Amino acid sequence: MMQVAIAVLLDSLHLLRARKMFGIALAISLAIGVAYAAIGFDAEGMTLFGFKKIPNPMMTEGSENAAAFYILLFIDVIVRYWLAWVVILIGLISTISIFPDFLAEGSIGVSLSKPVSRPVLFLLKYLGGLMFVALQVFLLSLIAFLAIGFRIGEWNIGIFWAVPVVTFVFSLIYCVSVLAAVVTKSTAFSLIAGLGIWGFSLLVQWGEDLTYKFGVMMPEMGATVDVSTGQTKVAEEGDGGGARSWQRTFEGIMTPLPKTRACTLWLKRLIVFDDRESPLQGMDLGMVLTGAGDDPQMRELMVKYEARHSAWYVFGTSALFQAVVLGLAITLFSRRDY
Amino acid sequence: MSVPAIEIESIQKRYGRFEALKELSLTVPAGSVFGLLGPNGAGKSTLVKSLLTIVRPTLCRGTLLGKKIGHRPTLAKVGYLPEHAKFPDYLTGRQIVSYSARMTKVVAKQATVKTEELLELVGMGHWADKRNGTYSKGMRQRVGLAQALVNDPEIVFLDEPTDGVDPEGRVEIRGIIEKMRDQGRTVFVNSHLLAEVEAVADEVAILAQGKIVERGRTADLVKSGSRFIVRALGPVPFELKAAFEREGAKVAGDRVECECEDAKGVQGIIDALRKAGVVVREVIETRTSLEEVFMRAIRQSKGGES
Ligand SMILES: Nc1ncnc2c1ncn2[C@@H]1O[C@H](COP(=O)(O)OP(=O)(O)O)[C@@H](O)[C@H]1O
Ligand SMILES: [Mg+2]
Repeated sequence: MMQVAIAVLLDSLHLLRARKMFGIALAISLAIGVAYAAIGFDAEGMTLFGFKKIPNPMMTEGSENAAAFYILLFIDVIVRYWLAWVVILIGLISTISIFPDFLAEGSIGVSLSKPVSRPVLFLLKYLGGLMFVALQVFLLSLIAFLAIGFRIGEWNIGIFWAVPVVTFVFSLIYCVSVLAAVVTKSTAFSLIAGLGIWGFSLLVQWGEDLTYKFGVMMPEMGATVDVSTGQTKVAEEGDGGGARSWQRTFEGIMTPLPKTRACTLWLKRLIVFDDRESPLQGMDLGMVLTGAGDDPQMRELMVKYEARHSAWYVFGTSALFQAVVLGLAITLFSRRDY
Repeated sequence: MSVPAIEIESIQKRYGRFEALKELSLTVPAGSVFGLLGPNGAGKSTLVKSLLTIVRPTLCRGTLLGKKIGHRPTLAKVGYLPEHAKFPDYLTGRQIVSYSARMTKVVAKQATVKTEELLELVGMGHWADKRNGTYSKGMRQRVGLAQALVNDPEIVFLDEPTDGVDPEGRVEIRGIIEKMRDQGRTVFVNSHLLAEVEAVADEVAILAQGKIVERGRTADLVKSGSRFIVRALGPVPFELKAAFEREGAKVAGDRVECECEDAKGVQGIIDALRKAGVVVREVIETRTSLEEVFMRAIRQSKGGES
């Protein structure tokens, strides 16, 4: 069993090493990591590589704000855009051919004629596909972990939550690609299926997010937007009804779908700090930079907004989605003639 | 005799409504080279894939290496080179062989030694660390043979092993097959190229449209079709011609052609000719090639069908 796992995973590693994009993405990740680590703080504000000074009274060494800024820079920018967007997209493109090639005539027979059960073979191959993203995220998390430790004295293992979370997000898209590959054996269909489910679930999540802000957050702040005219007016009792019902509709569509965006955003809640009163909840980078984080009502609404879905809802239903898709793929893979 | 390497009591495979294998049975003795012949689409690959769990037969009763067909652990003692074998381009020859070694659970140390030895055997020693993508078709096939042997298999299945390989490579592959037999392995070769199988197989079966239409030892099959031609100096006298034709021989001009087991069968014809004072110019033994046996078997199977 161990040997079989090594054989299949090693094969995936060889494939990654042969992919130019893997190396390029890794190099860019490294550069981003170095740039991140280069940011520091002193008594007057921010520093770059320890010498270029960017004076900012809010970001002085040892301040809560500096710490929040530094950590949120990792979560809200590096993870959210580079890892959750670019790395996942490059990962999908780089690993998309794994299953179609594996299933091709003349190739699949070699593996299937070995004393290894088909579901095990399938799952190992699947894990191999996830390695691309896992390795990239691990590298960046390691740099971020060290940088945060040295820069703000916070040795927080929680940073490494980025590895399983981003890999999980990738797997939500990848499993659909793999199912398409098992059905069609075609790389093109496999890619279209992956991008399709990603795009669709993102649209639904954005829709839900937006209608929540209009339908729930704004009325609570005392304002409301007429969705048809775009005009803002002072909220009255029971307002936000239109947007609110849209939000419920979006939520309904979203429930069985993979929640790629919500999972990535949840990372913020997983990275907890023991000795401070969780500085990240109800904050995003924009709020730190504009000082809006100091407004208690705004923060309260943000906390509520971030917590509007439970962990079970965000991760549980996504995992369920993946289990169903993979179950289907494994069943088809195990039953088929090659 | 020991347990047969393969003993199929009955196997049937349907793809949808199409019947690729029609409830055939087959026994392959251990330690021999067995050739499964047949035109494209006969079902040869389907048969081999069914034994290796790549295809799930509709009905199957029988054993492979003494275990029920489909018994997974037995596959550790089996080697396989698929038809149109395609290994990943990003792997080197050595990595391809290692992959098979690990998948068949060969002990790591032994695998390293074996890999080296086999790459040398198939003449890929110098190229072992180059990527598969840079190999020629013949080189890929050699690496394919090496990976099929890395677990010291008791039986090796080679599906069209010489397909796309140059003549020199074909001869070498034949040499490797003979070496496998000398090491006591059973070699099961699928081919639509008769000449090759004829040269190397101890036994053959001919498959056509999912049925076995002929089988036996290669030597017997070829011999059972032997013909002798006796040529006289000048035409065969008329009375003798009529007499020979009654016996089933064909006579044309100075030629008398008869089908018989061996040379004893033609002595009567020679005696008769000599007694009549005819000078016998030559006696030719023409062994039917497997190709003729093959064509005849296929014609018969088609005839039986309609
Ligand atoms: N997966 C499949 N689905 C449907 N038909 C198949 C499949 N594989 C093979 N066949 C059909 O079964 C027949 C036998 O094929 P095959 O075993 O590959 O023949 P051979 O190896 O003798 O050339 C062919 O007619 C082929 O079209
Ligand atoms: Mg074939």
